[in-house]
Amino acid sequence: MSFEPKIIGFTCNWCSYAAADLAGVSRMQYPHNVRLVRVMCSGMVHPKVVAQAFEKGADGVMVMG
Amino acid sequence: MEWKMSEQGKGSVLIAGGGIAGMQAALDAANSGFYVYLLERRPAIGGKMAQLDKTFPTNDCAM
Amino acid sequence: MEVTRRPRFVDTEKCIACGVCAEKCPKKVDDEYNEKISQRKAIYIPYAQAVPQKYAIDRDNCIYFKSGKCRACEKFCPAGAINFEDKPQTMSLHVGAIVLSPGFSTFDPSGIRTWGYGTFKNVITSMELERYLSASGPTDGHLVRPSDKKEVKRIAFIQCVGSRDLNKSQNGYCSSVCCTYAIKQAMIAKDHVKDLEATIFYMDMRTYGKEFERYYERAKDLGIGFQRCRVHSLEPVRDTSDIYFRYIDEKGRQIEARYDMVVLSVGLCTPASALELAYHAGVELNENRFVESSSFDPVGTSRPGVFSCGAFSGPKDIPQTVMEASAAAADATRLLAGARNSLTQKREFPPEIEVCDQPVRIGVFICHCGANIAGVVDVERVARYAQTLPGVAHVARNLFSCSQDTQDSIKNTIKEKGLNRVVVAACTPRTHEPLFRETLKAAGLNPYLFDMANIRNQDSWVHAAEPERATEKAMDLVRMSVAKVGLLSALPAISVPVSQAALVVGAGLSGMVSALALADHGFPVTLVEKSSVVGGQARHLFRTWKGERIEPALQELDARVRSNPLIALHLDSTVASAEGFVGNFKSTILSGKTSTTIDHGVTILATGAQGYVPEGEYLFGTSSRVFTAIEFDKLHMAGDRRMKEAKNYVFIQCVGSRCEERMYCSRVCCTHSVQAALQLKEENPDGEVFILYRDMRTYGQREELYRKAREKGVVFIHYESHLKPRVKSLEPRRLEVEVFDHVLHEPLRIVADIVVLATAVVANAATAELADIYRLPIDSDGFFQEAHAKLRPVDFAADGIFMAGLAHCPKPVDESIAQAKAAAGRAVSVLANSSIDLEPTKATVVSANCDGCAMCLDVCPYNAISLVAAEVAGAKAGLRVEINLARCKGCGLCQATCPKDGVFVAGFSLEQIAAQVDAALAI
Repeated sequence: MSFEPKIIGFTCNWCSYAAADLAGVSRMQYPHNVRLVRVMCSGMVHPKVVAQAFEKGADGVMVMG
Repeated sequence: MEWKMSEQGKGSVLIAGGGIAGMQAALDAANSGFYVYLLERRPAIGGKMAQLDKTFPTNDCAM
Repeated sequence: MEVTRRPRFVDTEKCIACGVCAEKCPKKVDDEYNEKISQRKAIYIPYAQAVPQKYAIDRDNCIYFKSGKCRACEKFCPAGAINFEDKPQTMSLHVGAIVLSPGFSTFDPSGIRTWGYGTFKNVITSMELERYLSASGPTDGHLVRPSDKKEVKRIAFIQCVGSRDLNKSQNGYCSSVCCTYAIKQAMIAKDHVKDLEATIFYMDMRTYGKEFERYYERAKDLGIGFQRCRVHSLEPVRDTSDIYFRYIDEKGRQIEARYDMVVLSVGLCTPASALELAYHAGVELNENRFVESSSFDPVGTSRPGVFSCGAFSGPKDIPQTVMEASAAAADATRLLAGARNSLTQKREFPPEIEVCDQPVRIGVFICHCGANIAGVVDVERVARYAQTLPGVAHVARNLFSCSQDTQDSIKNTIKEKGLNRVVVAACTPRTHEPLFRETLKAAGLNPYLFDMANIRNQDSWVHAAEPERATEKAMDLVRMSVAKVGLLSALPAISVPVSQAALVVGAGLSGMVSALALADHGFPVTLVEKSSVVGGQARHLFRTWKGERIEPALQELDARVRSNPLIALHLDSTVASAEGFVGNFKSTILSGKTSTTIDHGVTILATGAQGYVPEGEYLFGTSSRVFTAIEFDKLHMAGDRRMKEAKNYVFIQCVGSRCEERMYCSRVCCTHSVQAALQLKEENPDGEVFILYRDMRTYGQREELYRKAREKGVVFIHYESHLKPRVKSLEPRRLEVEVFDHVLHEPLRIVADIVVLATAVVANAATAELADIYRLPIDSDGFFQEAHAKLRPVDFAADGIFMAGLAHCPKPVDESIAQAKAAAGRAVSVLANSSIDLEPTKATVVSANCDGCAMCLDVCPYNAISLVAAEVAGAKAGLRVEINLARCKGCGLCQATCPKDGVFVAGFSLEQIAAQVDAALAI
């Protein structure tokens, strides 16, 4: 079986989370292995949670804002 | 309660056109305590600005 | 009044915007949103982000309405939203006032042979280019030309198509926005095609707005070409789809040009539907088909009670439109102030159930959204899985969770099952979170004990071909939401009282207009003026561009301000210090040696600007015959001997504007010089008046003055910034002005009796002082910085503080008044409420962890954090941070910065975010 990375994305409610919603509205298709966590501003994402995501097995973390 | 004709509807404003001007006027009037009727010819509000890609002079997204 | 609601044929209560109808609809129609470059269906949503997100049937194109057959949409709609029986409804409305904002249409260049629009495929309008450049447009943002879909490498913009042109169009006016939008389009186009060669062919570059001049300079730096000339006609290049034209360049040479694509920068006009609206509303239009209004009442119309805003009253850009919209709202509601809140309603909710001591009982509601979710995601499996998650007490599935009956059933289930946390797995919280929060409130739960799992927009819709994966993702998303919701606690509603009074700083034209508007709305105003007189810069002005006399208007305002019992005018006074936030400002006013402190809910800063003093330039200060425009007006009005005897006048434009030190246009000077020149020509038709200019910026309907001036024989000579005119003293009473003439290509010497310098408008010291006192930003030119260049041109980023007039940027009387009324309107929307409800998702200090290191203070963009001495059981316990809830916007920069977990954002704490991350990675 091929390697399937697990990606965590922290997305700002006002831009990147909205963009992810719009991707849905436009029916764009993308890989299923990303899980988005909605935050009110990408600025609230503490480095600790990023580190924690890696510790718990994430292969990649995106902070988008 | 009986309304006198001249009093009827005094607490409301009608706004004809739901582009950026109409939307802003509607928000301000409503937030100031007035009932707003916002009229738009098309099936959605937004007007011409919704068609713009970016806006000058900041090149911000118009949406 | 009578209003007709046209049938939509789609029940907006039922439509879930799934798009099945449009997919099944067999009829394709040119899409007006994309300027007919692409196609849509006869049942459609105008654009992806449209509000409301509800479909509509275009009756004129629907097959059923044409032939009586089809109804495919009805057959396939999972929500039963299609209603072919929908009929027009006529409503009779009683309203207190009307605001007209029908907008504009762009000039249609079809049929004008010389432009070749409609004949040559690669000649397009600027509106079409806008769609080509848009990432969501018909070409996904790729700049290709219509004829062969080849990437565009050479593009030309032709300005003033349908503007400033009485030959090919009937529009003599300037459309105000095309110069700057062409620059924008050229820049964006260059972003798309790096080696693009873009040239703008223009007559005058009218970048007169705030920050526009820098934008123009940036475009030049980016290599965008600017060519001053009038292109007369376009021709096709034989055997290709290229476009060819000739023009005369600035050196007088004839140049032959060939482009892949030519964009016609089309102007703004009033659409037929707006003409009809004007007719029905009974308001008069002028010869340009725009609403006729006075400079002193810029949003008024010929009919009392009816107001207008935006491009309906003349071509204008977005910030000006937004200002007028706020002004129109303020003026429309001004006479109705007594009826405020008489027709609005507030919803009542049952008292909140205390849940903090209860064990967590989560209800999970999974939405099918018709087939939108259930057609891809195995919702039954997700529901079974949700049942196994810790804390989950109840799981239900709903066909449409947002429908009114489902809302009722969720409400009842919460009560019956004793649920104290709710997860809805459905579309997206961005559109539906508010609705479900209301449902929780209706059930007696705190609305913040809620989370939404996005299993439609971010799952079923984007993994449509992988149902198994989509189902797994849905389970993960539900698990993440359940993990978070269990950690949520009730957030109390936060509201702060509003001190229902205003402070207006500056009693110039703008300040007085704002103060009077606020007083008419019923709010007490403290009006503070630094000098001993009211009127500000307007005292030096003679007439508006429409010719109305300013002095009488100013006197009337002065009288009204002084006699208004709600306005307390403080002359010779300044604001010494201030503290507080929206609804609760406290400012100390210094009048001589006495200081008074006032409470006010809003602040309007209208502190004006001043004229540039051109010390040493063009013999100013040396010759007694060189004046600034304001000095000239005064002497001219007073009948000064020098003015009376003079025959030759020279006006020099852009003195102190559009230069290295002040890279902005002062907006008012071109119109002023043209107006003064016309006046001089009228007084003495034999006298000579020369205007030496860089670009004539008689924008909008002011263009008519420019046209008249040329007709009357005023001589306009263009100069470049590197070849400035020179003024020499010739003999005691005469001057010689030398300027390089671009038509003759040699220096021209003009003997002048009087030289008038059109000097810049510059920021004054009060602006910076007040910015300091209220902690507000100023821009690089010393003017106040608005919250958003387009959408919030009157607001500061800090709530409850607004700006008006010259302190924001140079602008004429009518625009200052519009902004002053807008500032009052924005202020009224705060003052109209006795308290302000705030989102409770705010930063919260954990005092046990906070050690007062204050790192969060530096990163907070809203000045919401302060350092205070803490006390524990009456004893001093060092320093702690404190959050000002009214200022905090809940961005959480403090949370991400704090090294000690001493501060978190309610509803988005580290623990809660971490729980979601853990849950996401748990399997």
